[in-house]
Amino acid sequence: MTIRVILADDHPLTRAGLRDYIEKEKDLELVGEAADGLEAWELIVREKPDVALLDIRMPGENGVSLARKIKDSKLPVIPVMLTSFDAQQYVIASLRAGARGYILKTVTPDELSRAIRTVARGGLYLDGDVARNIEDRDMAFEALSAREREVLLYAARGLSSKEIAADLIISERTVQTHLASIYDKLGARNKTEAMLLALKYGVVALEELID
Amino acid sequence: MRRHLLILLTLAIMIPSFGALFVGGAGVVQHEKTMERVARSYVEDMAGSVAARLEMGWGRPGSFPLNDRERFMRLRQMTWGLSIPGWIAVVDIQGNILMSTAGAEVLPLLWNKGVPVGSAMEVKNSDGEKFTLAAYPAGETGWFVVAAVSWSKLMGPMMRFSRWPIIVGLIGLLGMISVLALWKWLVAPLRALGTEVSYLQWGQEMPVADDPSAVFEIRRLRQVLHHLAKGAMERSDLMKRYVGDIVRVQEEERSRLAREIHDGPLQDVTALIHQIRLAVMDGTSPTEGGHLENAEDGARHAVQEMRALCDELSPPWLDLGLGQALNELVERLSRHLQSEISVDVNYPDELPPEVTLAYFRVVQEAVHNSVRHGRASRVSVRLFGENGQAVLEVEDDGNGFDPPDDYEELRVRGHRGLANMSERMSLIGGKLEVRRLPGGGTLVRCVWSVTSASV
Repeated sequence: MTIRVILADDHPLTRAGLRDYIEKEKDLELVGEAADGLEAWELIVREKPDVALLDIRMPGENGVSLARKIKDSKLPVIPVMLTSFDAQQYVIASLRAGARGYILKTVTPDELSRAIRTVARGGLYLDGDVARNIEDRDMAFEALSAREREVLLYAARGLSSKEIAADLIISERTVQTHLASIYDKLGARNKTEAMLLALKYGVVALEELID
Repeated sequence: MRRHLLILLTLAIMIPSFGALFVGGAGVVQHEKTMERVARSYVEDMAGSVAARLEMGWGRPGSFPLNDRERFMRLRQMTWGLSIPGWIAVVDIQGNILMSTAGAEVLPLLWNKGVPVGSAMEVKNSDGEKFTLAAYPAGETGWFVVAAVSWSKLMGPMMRFSRWPIIVGLIGLLGMISVLALWKWLVAPLRALGTEVSYLQWGQEMPVADDPSAVFEIRRLRQVLHHLAKGAMERSDLMKRYVGDIVRVQEEERSRLAREIHDGPLQDVTALIHQIRLAVMDGTSPTEGGHLENAEDGARHAVQEMRALCDELSPPWLDLGLGQALNELVERLSRHLQSEISVDVNYPDELPPEVTLAYFRVVQEAVHNSVRHGRASRVSVRLFGENGQAVLEVEDDGNGFDPPDDYEELRVRGHRGLANMSERMSLIGGKLEVRRLPGGGTLVRCVWSVTSASV
């Protein structure tokens, strides 16, 4: 069973490279290409591919907004962002919009196919460059405690330490200790990264974190 | 000593008028004395000469040599020669009038007052009228010649000066009215203008264009000042527009460059990486493989550098809104500056792009200042709503900083950071406040109201 993929990117050379990547894989089938957001939407509606690789910056309509449209119209299409932006906030914004994957365009062919397969299976794929892999740091991943998991979920919703402390009826200092421990365990440098890594390692589910 | 205009003007009015009043008064007094002497010598002469004639004509009493006709003629002679206002009469020792000129009936009334014989004096009748009167004995006849002039008849018009106090009062009143007029039209408008101009913030405020109660010269002065203030305001406006244009053009240019790099070279090099990888996948000799690997490394490095350049010029993630942009910025800054920087965004609404950009740049600058100049180890960035305003606060635990009154002063001294922050805020119609915190550290506070008119 092949995974049907479409590719939307306004840069022809980038498209050409990625097309070759996909075509080298036997279980992936590229069913269409689009050079802008409007064309991409038409293609998505017409072809209903399993996975849509969407550039964030495109003329017509950007990838994040396309992902949201797919989510809102309940199409059976999984959006994956394929972009040059390495800002973690873009990852968050994309995931909020309904994207299940976030890959940088400098991705290797192996990573690309792995990403497509992961999301097609219902998983979540985040590029190692935006949320570093644990293997990179050569460190064992230690499980979060129930309290830490709770604190992380609150923090992910954008609550400040003070608000988390008030909600969980603990001191603000305790919240900060928990956060520091979470960062340490996940190998994150900040809240956003902790969120992304927790998602990546399946510590928390996307639905828990975003919705 | 301060010489006040009003005092000078009052003196300038009062000194000459009192001088004139004094000279006039002295003249009047002198005049009155002279008139008195004239009147005295006049009545003395008249009485004396008539008495002499009588003595010549009648000789001793009882031996009256003249008949009635002659007496009449002499009387005529006597009265003919006296064509001036005044009276003359011949009275006997009991005060009966023997002969008189017309209208001399008044004389006996005055005569009773004990006039010394031979010298003139001033007497007043029961009505208060003033007369000069003289009596001369007419030789051995036992008669007296009485001569008198009435002051009110002879010198009446000249004597009006006796209403001196009224005139002095009148002049004083006129003087006061002129001082008041000078105050109202000259001194008060001049003072008002002086106060207004000395408190005027040149380039920001305008003096009132006209003062209808002022004299023409002051109104003219006011017009000139108004004109100058307008010029200063226009210049300051122009300066502000220049600075605003510079900031705007710079931002536009930066974002254009970032976009061009992102859409052009960054994509090209990314495509290049793809092609290198595809070439490697198609199979190469070990030497070729090594070269291609080096090429790929170089290209990946170029991509990272270009991405960093884009972020520095104009971060594309500003499009995500201020909340997310601040999170991204703070996470990057804390990594880069190796300090603990927290961010707390509690503002539900989206802000306009120019406000987002201004706040973003202020945070960038303020956090750098805190860490670099204030040596802060902790910086906290907060965005929240307060009374319909979007408030941004950057607080640190550094050395603290006392801001100058005028940020432009810092710019003159070469410290552009604070001046730039202030400029960015004023361009969006917001306010920037920097203050030293009591426990050490600095607070930078920006306030922008949704109703603020952005330039």
